[in-house]
Amino acid sequence: MTRCSRLVAACVLAVLCAPHVALSHAALIEAETTQAIRLHAFYETGEPMAQAQVIIFAPDNPALVWGQGLTDLQGRFDFIPDAQMGRWSVQVRQAGHGAMAHVEMGTMDPVVITSAGGPQNWTQRAIMIALVAWGALGTALWAAGNRNRADASS
Amino acid sequence: MHLPDGLVPLELALAGYAGSALLTGLALARIKRLPDPRGELPRAAMLTTVFFAASALSIPVPPTSVHLMLTGLMGVMLGWFAVPAILVGLFLQAVLFGHGGLTTLGLNGLILCLPALVGFAIWRGAGARWPDLAALIAGGGAVLLALAIFAGIVLLGMPAALDAGAERAALAVFLLAHLPLVLAEGVIVVVLLRVLRRIEPALVPHG
Repeated sequence: MTRCSRLVAACVLAVLCAPHVALSHAALIEAETTQAIRLHAFYETGEPMAQAQVIIFAPDNPALVWGQGLTDLQGRFDFIPDAQMGRWSVQVRQAGHGAMAHVEMGTMDPVVITSAGGPQNWTQRAIMIALVAWGALGTALWAAGNRNRADASS
Repeated sequence: MHLPDGLVPLELALAGYAGSALLTGLALARIKRLPDPRGELPRAAMLTTVFFAASALSIPVPPTSVHLMLTGLMGVMLGWFAVPAILVGLFLQAVLFGHGGLTTLGLNGLILCLPALVGFAIWRGAGARWPDLAALIAGGGAVLLALAIFAGIVLLGMPAALDAGAERAALAVFLLAHLPLVLAEGVIVVVLLRVLRRIEPALVPHG
């Protein structure tokens, strides 16, 4: 094999062996692994927030929209934050309802801080309702007792 | 139907607080002028619990679900007392259930207190003459008015970045899903007042 043909063969090999690159009529696709954040938005009843609008705010400018999109039919939304460290805010909203979630991006794995919500199980809810009912009953009895005493003294 | 934290511009939230404060001041002034304000306290306390607990119940209306509001009932049963009762109930719902936000408490107060007062006015004006009709209109009309105020606030506070067309379409679906609630809450007020008239007429408000 001549020196020239060796050079050609080496070039062909280098092109063919280039990792993760597909070439076709000057279009390029590069593949790489990266870290994405997946959020799952749903109503308190458990129904997914399907096709809800998503607005993302980056840590360096919480007033400026960094990105936006729509949740899928299961209420899921994926996004890939850039290398900025800090608190990313993601707002999911639909018909005036929605929530804000925060994602802390640091040197460790990202921490998703979900939006504040109430108790999810019925036992907790029943206890809360019972406590409020007890408070209201106490108030009602106290008011009725005061009134009776006032009537008796007059 | 509660506006959560974080979705409404700060100016709108502050305006909501100012409006609710004005309404509360007016309601307390009117309550002071009642012949026996203390006599209404037990009823207000118990109905605050009913209002608070009602938000925990969701009624499936495919493709979504709706919550009972009971704003018309509060207005008919409590009159001016409905304003402080609803605000206390909303505060408890926000803190304990996460329904609605604390920053939007003023706006949510306006969404539910104004219709309650309209329900009260309807009942006071027509309840003695046409009790069933007045109760139905007060209960159902209050829900309709609450929906209209809610939609107005959502449209007013919509951020520029949002797809306005998609949000309006979602809002239309939301409002349509609540139409059965208009009838349901009207019927609830009619039934409750009928029962009270039969078993304890003294408890019928302004009766």
